[in-house]
Parts: sequence; structure tokens; C-alpha cells
Amino acid sequence: MSPGLLILIILCTGIAGLVLGRRRALLRSESSGQRLHSLPMAYGQSVFLFATVPALLLVAVWLLLQPVFLEGRAAGMIPTSDIPAGSGIALLLDEARRIANGLPATAATLPSVIAAAQALNEGYESARLSLSIAALALALGGAIWAFLRIKPEARARNLVEQFILAMLMGASLIAILTTFAIVASLIFETVHFFQVYEARDFFLSLTWSPRFGGGSQLGLWPLLWGTLYISFIALLFAVPVGLMAAIYLSEYAGPRMRAVAKPLIEILAGIPTIVYGLFALITVGPLLRDYLAQPMGLGDSSSSVLTAGLVMGIMLIPFVSSLSDDIINAVPQSLRDGSYGLGATRSETIRQVVLPAALPGVVGAVLLAASRAIGETMIVVMGAGAAAKLDLNPFEAMTTITVKIVSQLTGDTEFASPETLVAFALGLTLFIFTLGLNILALVIVRKYREQYE
Amino acid sequence: MKDMRIAERTVDSQTSKMIARGVQVHYGTTHALKDVDVDILDKTVTAFIGPSGCGKSTFLRCLNRMNDTVASARVTGRIELDGEDIYDRRVDPVQLRARVGMVFQKPNPFPKSIYDNVAYGPRIHGLARGKAELDEIVEKSLRKAAIWNEVKDRLNAPGTGLSGGQQQRLCIARAIATSPEVLLMDEPCSALDPIATAQVEELIDELRGQFSVVIVTHSMQQAARVSQRTAFFHLGNLVEYGETGQIFTNPTDPRTESYITGRIG
Repeated sequence: MSPGLLILIILCTGIAGLVLGRRRALLRSESSGQRLHSLPMAYGQSVFLFATVPALLLVAVWLLLQPVFLEGRAAGMIPTSDIPAGSGIALLLDEARRIANGLPATAATLPSVIAAAQALNEGYESARLSLSIAALALALGGAIWAFLRIKPEARARNLVEQFILAMLMGASLIAILTTFAIVASLIFETVHFFQVYEARDFFLSLTWSPRFGGGSQLGLWPLLWGTLYISFIALLFAVPVGLMAAIYLSEYAGPRMRAVAKPLIEILAGIPTIVYGLFALITVGPLLRDYLAQPMGLGDSSSSVLTAGLVMGIMLIPFVSSLSDDIINAVPQSLRDGSYGLGATRSETIRQVVLPAALPGVVGAVLLAASRAIGETMIVVMGAGAAAKLDLNPFEAMTTITVKIVSQLTGDTEFASPETLVAFALGLTLFIFTLGLNILALVIVRKYREQYE
Repeated sequence: MKDMRIAERTVDSQTSKMIARGVQVHYGTTHALKDVDVDILDKTVTAFIGPSGCGKSTFLRCLNRMNDTVASARVTGRIELDGEDIYDRRVDPVQLRARVGMVFQKPNPFPKSIYDNVAYGPRIHGLARGKAELDEIVEKSLRKAAIWNEVKDRLNAPGTGLSGGQQQRLCIARAIATSPEVLLMDEPCSALDPIATAQVEELIDELRGQFSVVIVTHSMQQAARVSQRTAFFHLGNLVEYGETGQIFTNPTDPRTESYITGRIG
């Protein structure tokens, strides 16, 4: 039985339990003359939940663990002598999996691999059968158990409530656990990296020059500098423009202007970053080179920090303006009235009353934009190039952590080499950076909250 | 209404500070205020009473052109301050509001320190030359608003951290600091407890020595306690306007009498 069909049957069992449970609750209350504690539907729902939730959980866990278990057993069937020198068992297992899935074996396929494939195939067959039996038994058992427990005085309503609470907690747990899993996978590979590469060199070296033959210098600083420099320029452009646009939209623009301008600005947020990249590559880059860099003698590269920074800034404008606009609108009208009532002009009111009141939110918006800027990849590849350099000149090509993560992972080097593993160390650095930024945002917001509310 | 003590009617002055003639206000298609004539006397507390939606707050907001900030509002008629039409094109509403200050229904301290709240007006109008002078204005205003003793040790604390009654007195201090000639108060005690209300009422009576106070109130006892002159509004019309004692004891219009005795409203 395929998992999809199995889930459908479990759900049908649950729905049947729902209908029958409801009827049983009504009948029992009638025959005993006792008033039901909960609505009849709640009894039905409790049967539905007991029938479906444990069975579905079993299916989910089983499907997650099944490959791990079966492949471990298949791997045990391949003798170490069959593994070609220089590679792992993973390649042979891949082959076994392909054969098990129905691809024909070639003449070169080792007999042990074919045996492993057969074992896999049989394992899948039998596992599927036992899963179906177990899940259906659990569904039926749960339904019958819950069905028999239906009594007029049973607190079905509270039971359903607890189930819902557990489901909600489970959902938030998934989000939290995923974060942990991501961090754990990063840390795991980063540890690998530091086993093959000196941590001191990574954190202190000022050169980034990966080499295929080994002897690479993988210093963090040129990449970190490029990331911060480009993000800084992007924010330098996006924050004032976005904030002023937000002030205009929320304080000055009439309703008709607002209805037109706000969606137009938000269109910017919908443009894919690769399109921004094209804009940087063919328009902004050459423009900056021809009209600024070359006349000033600061370089003749069309990819530059300034190009990427400006285009990224344009991308961030809707973030800053849209969030700030909402925040400024949330400042109570009574504060504005108070200021106007003292004879303040509009801009005085905005600068001295509205913006200070909106500050925590605006800081949050800016830091959110900063996180986006630090994580941006495509615009940097196409706007700033891929050369890792430590330079102050904004007309030089530079690159960022994210770009290098992509290029290191998609290169041809072996996975276990420091040149590839460095991507995880870089990823972890980036993660820690944005985490720090978010914590900073929280601290700032909380500090001003205390003062202003 | 036995607790309704009528304050001493010593009207210090008979000169008109503000004169309104034929004032009409429309909000979009609603005719909110119909043909109102009122003289606000100098150094006098004038109370506007009437049921909700009768136009008293609307009229109050005409006196310092706060209705300008409402896009749909249209004001016609003539309002003079010291003989000068405040709706004249040459009058800057911003300057006008410095002369005709306003205190609102809900205390609305700015998200700033107590000191900066009071110094806000003097700073934007350039009333103080130097820090010492500004300090003096702040202290004087806080003293006049009867809150100095409570806040003098924490002038740098946020104004939003005060209690409701203290916040409202802070807002009054803030309005006094620009030394207005007329102070408009839109139900200043409706968000306050009885003790804070008593403090604010006492304060209003003291302020009368320096400028005209116009107060909108829902409480007739309050109008009787603090004002020398009372105007009764009903459905956008000014029904009756005169000495407070006369309005409360011997109203000429039957509608006024019904409202005061609690039959309409």
C-alpha cells in the first residue's frame, strides 16, 4: 500500500469515527437521560483525533527512519574489499539504490552491490507492508478505544482543547528544531573544516586565494570586509531614501497619491534579485565607471562595490519604506495633535515627535534590511564581481561571503577538501553575524520601548 | 444638583479676546456647526456644554484652526483674535496656535523627558535665549501647572512614565510654556480620577488670572465649578450663552433647562 493511500484510509477511519462518535454520544445521553458535558461534535472530534493523530505520526516517523535503517543494512552487505580505493561506500550505495529503483545493472556492477540492491528492494517491500498493518491497526485501535470511552460525563471538549494545544506546540517546536538542525549541520561541517585547516589562518589571514592543488589561503577578512562594505553602502542609500519616502507617504501624501505610490514602491520588492543583478551589470556598473570612476582616475572596472551597493540599496528601499510607513502610521494621532496645538509645523512635528515615537520600529526595519543586505548574493555576483580584495576604494571589484560560499561549493574540488569545507565555516560566520544583528535590534527596541511606553 | 456650587462670578474683564460671528463647519456633507456667534472674554473661564456630537469640540477646534488638519473640514464665518481675523490668508496657523494653546481630552505627552516636553514649545518658537532662560520657563510652567513639586527631581525621566493626572498637568504645563493668550481645553478631565480632576480644576481657576480659558466639558458640575460664562450647544446650534450662574439657575431657553435638569442629552 503506498503511503498516500495509507494516509487517505487513516483519514477516512477518522471521519467515520467522527460521525459514529457523535451519534454514540447523542444516543448514550438519550438512553441514560444525562446531559452531555460537551457538544456532541466534540465527542466525534475526540474519536477523530485518537484515530488519526497517532497513526499519522507513526507513518511520518517510519518514513523518516526507514531509509536510514535499510541502507545501513545494505551497506553491511558490501564487503570493504569491493570499495574502490579513494572513494567511499556512498557511491556503491547510490548504485544499489538506483538498481533497487528499477534501473538495469550494467556488466561492471559488482555482485555484492546487486545483492545489496536486492536486499534494499525486499526491505522496502516488507517495510511497506508492515507499516500499513501497524498504521491501520493503530488508527482502528485508537478509534475504537476513544469510541468506547464516550460517556455523557466525559469531558470531550477539554480533551479536544488539549489536543489542539499539543498540535500548536508541535508546530512551533518544528520551527525551533529546524533552526537547531541547520546550526548543527553548519557546526558539524565547520568542525571538519577546522580539522583540515588552521583556525588561526582562517580568522587572521588577510588573503583569500583558494587553490586546487592545496596550499590555499582561506582568510576570512577580505570576504567579511566586502560583505560589510557593500551592505554599508546599500544601507547608506536605502535608509534615508526609504525613510523619507515613508514619511512622505504617511504624513504628506493624500489618500489618492498614497493609493498609487505605495503599490508602485512595493513592486520593487517583487523584482527577482537576478533582475537587479542584470540592472547592475549592464546599466549601473558601466555608468559609474564611465562617469565617476574613470574621470576621477579611481579605476576602470565596471563591477564595483558601489555598483552592487547602490543596486542593493534600491532593492532595500521598499523594505525600509513599507515597514517604516506602517510604524509611522501607528503613532497615535493625539501626539501629532498635541504638537500642532503648540504651534509646531509639520516637519517639526515629524522630526521631534513622530520619529522619536516610531524609532524602535524604524530601527527594527533598518536592521531587517541590514540582514537582507548581508545575505544578498546575486546582486553582488553581477554587480561587484568575485575578486576577494581588501580595499577602501569603492570603485574596486570586491566580493562577499555569500558569493564565495556558492563558488566554493559548486567548484570541482572534492567535498572533504578545505576549499569546499570552508563554505560551512563562512556560512556559520554569516549566521553568527546576522544573529548578532538581530539580538542588537531586540536590545535597542526594548531599550526605547521602556522609555516611550 | 445640590452639590453644584456656583463659583464666584467675579468677571475681571469685560473686553472680548475672541469674537466669533456666523461660524459654520462642514465635515464633508455633514453640517456640524450652524451659525455660531460667541464672544470669549479676556481673563475669563468660558465653558462649552452640551450633549455628545453637539459641535462644542468642533467649535473649540475652530478657535486655533486645528480643523485645518482635518482634510474634510470646511470652516466659514469670521473668528477674530484681538480684532484680527484668524482665518485671513495672511495669518499663519502655526503662529496662531502658539497664541491660542490647546490641551486635549487624553493626556498626550510626547515620547521625551518631562523637561523636553515642556521645553518643546519654547524651543520651536525660539522663546528662550540660552539654557538658563529655558530652565526658568520650564520651572515656571511646571509650577503654574501645580506639578513642579512632584517632578522637580526627575525632569529627565520620560513624561510617559507619569500617572494619568500628572500627565495631563504636564500637558497643561507644556501648553502654558509657550505663553498663550487663550488656552483651549477639550474635556481635559475626562480621563482623570476625581482627585486629579480637582487638581486640574483648581489649576484652571488660577490660570484665569493670566489668560482666557475655554473649556469643553461633559460634566455640568465642572462647568458650574470652574467657569464664569457658559455656552450651551445642541445639534450644532449655539442655544444659549451667558453668565454661568444665569445659565444654571435661570436659563431662558427650554432646551437648556431640559439638558441641565437631565431630560435631554
